[in-house]
Amino acid sequence: MTLKIGLIGSGFMGAKHAAGWMRLVQLGYPVEIAGCLSLEPSTAVPLSETYGFPLVDSLDTLIGMSDVIDICSPTHLHHEQALKAADAGKQIVCEKPLARTVADAAEMVRVCEAKGVKLLVGHVVRFFPEYAAAKGIVERGDIGDPAVIRLTRCSFKPQSDRPDSWFHNPAYSGGMILDLMIHDFDYARWIGGEVTRVFARNIASRTQGGDYALVTLRHASGAISHIEGGWAYPKPMFRTGLEIAGSAGLIEHPVGRANPINVYLHQQADTSAPAIAVPGSPLLPEDDPYMVEIQHFYEVLVHDVSPRVTARDGLAAVRIALAAVESAASGHPVDLEGVGA
Amino acid sequence: MSKLRIGIFSFAHLHAEGYIGALRSLPDVDFIGFADDDRARGEHFANVFDARLFPSYEAMLDEGADGVVICSENSRHLPLIELAAKAKVGILSEKPLATTLADAERAVMVCDKAGVLLKVAFPMRFNAPAMEMHHLISSGGLGTIYAVNGTNQGECPHYHRAWFVDPALAGGGAIADHTVHVTDMLRWMLKCEPVEVYAEANHILYQDVAPKVETGGIVSLKFADGTIATIDCSWSKPPYYPTWGGLTMEIIGAGGLATLNGFGQNLNVYRHSNQRAGWSAWGSDANRAMLADFAAALRGDESRGASGIDGMRAVAVVEAAYQSIRIGQPVAVA
Repeated sequence: MTLKIGLIGSGFMGAKHAAGWMRLVQLGYPVEIAGCLSLEPSTAVPLSETYGFPLVDSLDTLIGMSDVIDICSPTHLHHEQALKAADAGKQIVCEKPLARTVADAAEMVRVCEAKGVKLLVGHVVRFFPEYAAAKGIVERGDIGDPAVIRLTRCSFKPQSDRPDSWFHNPAYSGGMILDLMIHDFDYARWIGGEVTRVFARNIASRTQGGDYALVTLRHASGAISHIEGGWAYPKPMFRTGLEIAGSAGLIEHPVGRANPINVYLHQQADTSAPAIAVPGSPLLPEDDPYMVEIQHFYEVLVHDVSPRVTARDGLAAVRIALAAVESAASGHPVDLEGVGA
Repeated sequence: MSKLRIGIFSFAHLHAEGYIGALRSLPDVDFIGFADDDRARGEHFANVFDARLFPSYEAMLDEGADGVVICSENSRHLPLIELAAKAKVGILSEKPLATTLADAERAVMVCDKAGVLLKVAFPMRFNAPAMEMHHLISSGGLGTIYAVNGTNQGECPHYHRAWFVDPALAGGGAIADHTVHVTDMLRWMLKCEPVEVYAEANHILYQDVAPKVETGGIVSLKFADGTIATIDCSWSKPPYYPTWGGLTMEIIGAGGLATLNGFGQNLNVYRHSNQRAGWSAWGSDANRAMLADFAAALRGDESRGASGIDGMRAVAVVEAAYQSIRIGQPVAVA
């Protein structure tokens, strides 16, 4: 029986997921994209033509023709769409952040559990080979207990004259801290365990739509994480990095020494670069993190493999990110202890 | 021009070892020797460096010195500063200036009253890449500065001297040891004071060799002009890291991004003898430049080295960081 995917959204992530599912099709997996719901014909039409799936104009129609609803819509829409899909008994794949608010995310988790449908969250960083490899090294105990975890994820501000401009409306996206830094909040929690306290400072009030934040997390294990995130670099820069210092060793990425001084100026930016940045390292197609993620989703959905990212992980990441937003606004640390999922 | 007579007080701090060579290389300086309250340590280093060991600090001062470089344990800076100030001898104190803000204030006050020069060993002000960054920022090349992600990580220094992990002598662990350099650089580069500090610390790294002090820490600063910064002061480099550690900054300004690697001028060296990668530094010698500046200051010439007040401001941040850890909240810098 063919697994029928109903895709919501045709933007940046919609296209990534479509490519992932279509690669499974090419590899002979019994899967197909049944249809796509999108409010943005400028991206939806070319995508449907490339892959030969129909566009539909209502969520009910999409739900009716699908086994799995794959939500790649703007963040604030995830909640309503997921609840509808769950209500119809459909399995759900949902891009990160799971939801725009903790209450929305918690309700999604609750309803999906009650309805017995899977809710798989697209925390793709766990599928990036360098991040997965570092996790493996930590899990094996090779570096002892994680003590100080440093994660970096900075790019330029996503361009705003695109349909993606919801990014720039914090009411929809939650801003840079929720949209971008959530990757590393999730990863820090994967490495260091539950987070009990969050302290953040950012510069959003001083920039035109950009942001840059320095966030400290305290883990129940005693570990500390330092998370740097930003939409503040000149185009087309995107840098990610990880460093995990443990009681018995150290992991550093990237490898190699920086120059004594590097300067990257906005006035020398390459404005012809793509509107949205993704970090990348040359990999064979089978190792592309988005492909690996979609393939993993397939295994979870069809063969009941245990998910690398649970719905509760997705909820916890939203909780940490919104605590960071709150801390940056209030100037005080936010305690997450005693807050149940 | 007669040579300046400069000696070293104590070999407790490992930097003293480097300072001897640098002082001997300065053409207008006569390195007169050193004194140490630890007799065995003093005799050891007198032998290693073929240097004169005075029987006491007072003996060196009695013979006459223009300046002393104080390399004692952190909490013992103040009594030696008071001793030198009384003898009207100029002072370059190792960092941190003191282990409490009260002691740091007293050090500044005592030297001020005696009319004696007090400088603090912040060699990053003489680190060539850091100077270039300072120039870039001062000249407006990055526009308004918004944020700095700083690190000054290292191996646990107990491998060099046991007192670094004794809270009574060091004033604390990684935070006392490694917060002050980046703090001073930020004050120097931003020309602005830190007003609020939040810190988290833990004790997972080097538990066995540093049982009494924090070994991991992130110190978060807010400056008067709104600039935000963090300093990772952790002893998070393993003892077999290619070098002792490092100091980095990522600086976000209205004009873009600049990154600094203060110790990035290295050769990769692989030796059969120790079977691991090593970095061999080839950059300019910031310590020598700092000592040359100290000599210039002793002569009354213009100096751009950190003053006693600069040292005191950095201690205020350390004290606020420890206070923040105790109460779990941001703390205003005294």
